[in-house]
Amino acid sequence: MDRRSFIKTGVAAGAVAAGGGFAAPALSQGANARTLRFVPQANLANFDPIWGTQYVVRNAAVLVWDTLYGFDDKLEPQRQMVEGEEVSADGKTWTFKLRTGLRFHDNEPVLAKDVVASIVRWMPRDPMGQILRRLNEELVAVDDRTIRWRLSAPFTKMKMALGKNATPMCFIMPERIASRFDSFTQINEYVGSGPMRFVRNEWVPGARAVFQKFDGYVPRNEPASWLAGGKRMMVDRVEWVVMPDPATASAALQNGEVDWWENPITDLVPVLRRNRNIAVDIADPLGNIGAFRMNHLHAPFNNLKVRQAVMTALSQEDYMTALVGNDRALWKVMGGFFTPDTPLYTEAGGAMMKAANLERGRQLLRESGYNNEPVTCIVAQDQPITKALGDVTADLLKKLGMNVDFVATDWGTVGQRRAMKNPPGQGGWSMFHTWHAGADAINPILYNAVRANGDGAWFGWPNVPAVEAEVPNWLAASSLAEERAAIDRLNTAAVENVVYCPTGFFLSYQAWRRNVSGIVKGPIPFAWGVSKT
Amino acid sequence: MFAYIVRRILATIPVMAIVALFVFSLLYIAPGDPAAVIAGDQATPADVERIRASLGLDRPYLVRFGAWLWDILRGDLGTSIFTNLPVATMIQQRIEPTLSLMIVTLILAVSIAVPMGVVAAWRQGTWVDRAVMGFAVLGFSVPVFVVGYVLAYVFALELDWLPVQGYTPFSRGFGPWIENLILPAVALGSVYIALIARITRATMLEVLQQDYIRTAKAKGVGQRSILFMHALKNAAVPIVTVIGIGIALLIGGAVVTESVFAIPGLGRLTVDAILRRDYPVIQGVVLLFSFIYVLVNLAIDLAYTLFDPRIRY
Repeated sequence: MDRRSFIKTGVAAGAVAAGGGFAAPALSQGANARTLRFVPQANLANFDPIWGTQYVVRNAAVLVWDTLYGFDDKLEPQRQMVEGEEVSADGKTWTFKLRTGLRFHDNEPVLAKDVVASIVRWMPRDPMGQILRRLNEELVAVDDRTIRWRLSAPFTKMKMALGKNATPMCFIMPERIASRFDSFTQINEYVGSGPMRFVRNEWVPGARAVFQKFDGYVPRNEPASWLAGGKRMMVDRVEWVVMPDPATASAALQNGEVDWWENPITDLVPVLRRNRNIAVDIADPLGNIGAFRMNHLHAPFNNLKVRQAVMTALSQEDYMTALVGNDRALWKVMGGFFTPDTPLYTEAGGAMMKAANLERGRQLLRESGYNNEPVTCIVAQDQPITKALGDVTADLLKKLGMNVDFVATDWGTVGQRRAMKNPPGQGGWSMFHTWHAGADAINPILYNAVRANGDGAWFGWPNVPAVEAEVPNWLAASSLAEERAAIDRLNTAAVENVVYCPTGFFLSYQAWRRNVSGIVKGPIPFAWGVSKT
Repeated sequence: MFAYIVRRILATIPVMAIVALFVFSLLYIAPGDPAAVIAGDQATPADVERIRASLGLDRPYLVRFGAWLWDILRGDLGTSIFTNLPVATMIQQRIEPTLSLMIVTLILAVSIAVPMGVVAAWRQGTWVDRAVMGFAVLGFSVPVFVVGYVLAYVFALELDWLPVQGYTPFSRGFGPWIENLILPAVALGSVYIALIARITRATMLEVLQQDYIRTAKAKGVGQRSILFMHALKNAAVPIVTVIGIGIALLIGGAVVTESVFAIPGLGRLTVDAILRRDYPVIQGVVLLFSFIYVLVNLAIDLAYTLFDPRIRY
């Protein structure tokens, strides 16, 4: 007995009694093939990609808002909304020309003033935007399609800044919205010029978000490549179905109730692989970098030798096995801080990261004068990644002979506590675990975790002038060779001073029904080019 | 009776006020910072502080509590920090699935558990009794999420009779609506069935020893009539009490069940809000749940008069 006959026999009496009978299925077969049902990595709790910088917001936002430039799969920024650009001879003035036919979802044309207002709103929230803001002398709309940006100094990474996929991306919104809400106030109107429009009245935060194809969108002629090229929607409707429980998502995918699952957990991948209707592949080749950060302000990690002892002793293999199991295709040991297989990845000076030498670690700890100070290790238990990393760290520190105060808590509490600079015994902390998206760890401006400018640095507040000295060198570099030279020096200084401890590079899977095609590997689940039969 | 109902409804006001104070204070002292969640990893401490200020989270306790209370008194539950949607709208979006789940579970549980308890008491000591009690122990012992997974595996994945997840509004028809609720209701109802069946059995055993039951038997009244007309009615007060208390079980169980079956109800809304520290949503939902619970207790008290004419208010 199949589902329909079971239901018909089982509840027919009730249906008749209720007077409603069976309603027609919500979607006919044809409509079903035009609707892509997608399980995202997390709940779309807000929908302002400048105000809220979570990846899930960005992933939804790329459907609705377009960008001036977009990264392709080689991490090269390509023109997207822009038809062309000119740079003055002194490198200080950029002039952008918008391509024709760009329209917002309210059918208003995209004008230069919209771009200006959007850039102004984006700059305060973005590391590269903040540099541009400091250099900004004049940003104006010359005419409806032309924007001129005059800076006080050349900025060679302009296209990267405007086209990168790290959050917050420089999305273009109507001027009436971008100028009404500052960067720290959430918008309440979701009008973009991207290939899909947001169906606000079907949005149930925590459950569902719906995107409808925007017929007025004119894709570029080039083939799509990540955020670059023609973003051609092959389906009419994309439904995001939020599922907090991975087992439920797995069952729903197997049962054909959803089409594409962004991030199946490793434990469930074998089950999915056994199903001949399901395909499984790597999701984002830029992956993630596992990490724990030590507090450079307080004992014991204000002592360089203690930090070196921990980095020397740690085995990335232990961390990665705890995190993703024995599937070697899913992880790599890192000898540097940047994302493996990207242009700036280097292992210069990185021997200590790969040492995995417990005995040498113990020796360094003895030499450090460590006096059994407690290590307040805060670990979010509600995040599978941090929980796995934290368990391995606790074991490592005990093996090293350190006094571990393991604080099991939730991510919300970690988010608050890691900002506190008090000593560990007074509400502060010694170390916490996290992870960094590989898309953010491709250069030193986007990658705030590797910065070491003391009070201005990320939590842990490392102060290593040798690291910071190389950031402007990278920014000013005019060739990839010069960039790499600066990053080699930066990496060496960051490892030597243990700015933080990477625990390995790891990838994750995505899974989809075999009647869906066109899914690509990328840092974002790109829905353009994806079709369904 | 009317005066009693009015008095009881008025008595909910101080109860709700205490709940409001308690919830607000608890959230105020709880660790966690929504501004840090919103700001993301790239944000500077100044950014986080600016977001905190824009959300009004930097104001003193009394100012925040006063503002919130004033809004509540005007019927405004506030606006979600994250979604920018009114809390009332979010509750409105989520209340139908939760109420549907609770009602179906309640009907299912009562219609299965009460006859089970009655039959177990009637056949005390036989295999029927032992089977019912065995089921009750199982219902208590196996967590709701395990029951949920097993049901989904068998009836959705293997047999393909029912969907794994989701919710279809009643407005789209009874069939699709009930299709999505059968498995969650059975999973959530397993504990409830066990609880009610045990209480029904115990109470029935006591009632079946009474003199008037023996008299009824002597008069030649039929077994069914004795059980359901004479005994069950007199055993009803404790059973109804347990059903009422069990509403709290349902509310708690709904959180898990809604997650396992991806039902967009109030339980999931609450958990999501707690994890993100979305204070206005947490406060709104807890107030709503406590109000429902107070009303359910009132309804139970009134129901006593139907079963026991000696009870008068």
